[in-house]
Amino acid sequence: MRDQRQLFQQLFEKNSKKVYHLCYGYTGDSDSANDLMQETFIKVWQNLDTFRNESQFSTWIYRIAVNTCLSYLRTAKRRTTDELNDNIIENYAEEPSEKQEQIALLYKSISQLDENERIIITMVLDEIPYPEIAEVAGISEGNLRVKIHRIKHKLTEIYNSNERL
Amino acid sequence: MKGFDEIQQLWQGQKPEPNVSFETILQHIKSHRTALTKKLFWQSVAVGTAVLTALWICIVVDFSTWTTYLALAIMVGCIGYYFANQLNDYKDISRSRHLLSKPQDYINYLRAFQQKRNRFNTRSYVVYEICIAVAFALYGIEMYFILPFWTLAGIFIFVVFWFLICHFVFMKQYIKHENMRIEEMIGNLERIKGQFRDR
Repeated sequence: MRDQRQLFQQLFEKNSKKVYHLCYGYTGDSDSANDLMQETFIKVWQNLDTFRNESQFSTWIYRIAVNTCLSYLRTAKRRTTDELNDNIIENYAEEPSEKQEQIALLYKSISQLDENERIIITMVLDEIPYPEIAEVAGISEGNLRVKIHRIKHKLTEIYNSNERL
Repeated sequence: MKGFDEIQQLWQGQKPEPNVSFETILQHIKSHRTALTKKLFWQSVAVGTAVLTALWICIVVDFSTWTTYLALAIMVGCIGYYFANQLNDYKDISRSRHLLSKPQDYINYLRAFQQKRNRFNTRSYVVYEICIAVAFALYGIEMYFILPFWTLAGIFIFVVFWFLICHFVFMKQYIKHENMRIEEMIGNLERIKGQFRDR
């Protein structure tokens, strides 16, 4: 039990920030991201004894995080993209530095992507290796590379057009 | 104009960090477990009490017709069936193997689960309604020998009226609302499933 707690703490310290980014990119709001991250780690704890060394711990945790995000729509209240975007701006309104505004704009741009694109791009932005992203998303590496190329282009376009506005 | 590399630099220099600590997660794990255990415990207590009450009535009260015993058995069967289904679905949704499957498989599972729950909450209700109606009718045979005719007729009319209201007003509304909700949910799942297709 003590070993398990120690392992869990290590996993939390190593992965919580990236899992949070993934959830934030997916939901576009920090409260929901915190809830989803918490839910993810509760599931990690509950399934810690079922982990097989077939993949890395991080891959396993991301898979749980992705599926937790996907099931989020079961309970999420219907919100339009505009509402989401307003929420993102509000979250950053407390520290209106130029950089914070740019980051808010980045999250706003990510929220305009499709669900799977949001998941993939947040992992790319966090520099997670491609084979790991492919395993988490359940698609081939070749297909992933094509998708990433397309999403990078799409995100850059959306970001720049939002910046112009 | 920013290129993707600049966007990535921006991302990596971002401040947003989780405001949930490791200790908070551990606390939640404990309370989450307790809350679920409590919920299941009280559901089991309610079902157990209902079943025991029915058994107690069977033993203590000396009914004159066998149909009343059959009515009680049908009632207990309905309660047991409902509880077993709830428990089974709860176990199914918390099973880890689904959570660890590929996103597309997980979405398939969620879709199938939602459809199953929808069937249980709507179509199975008709069967449930018929069983309860049969149980009331069987109990009515016993009452026929005990109660004065007009009292029995009054109760009969009230029960039939209540069943009709439940079936044609409440249930119709519930099914309509549930179908709309499930269609939206399935639609969303279909859309996301399409995005994870490996092509």
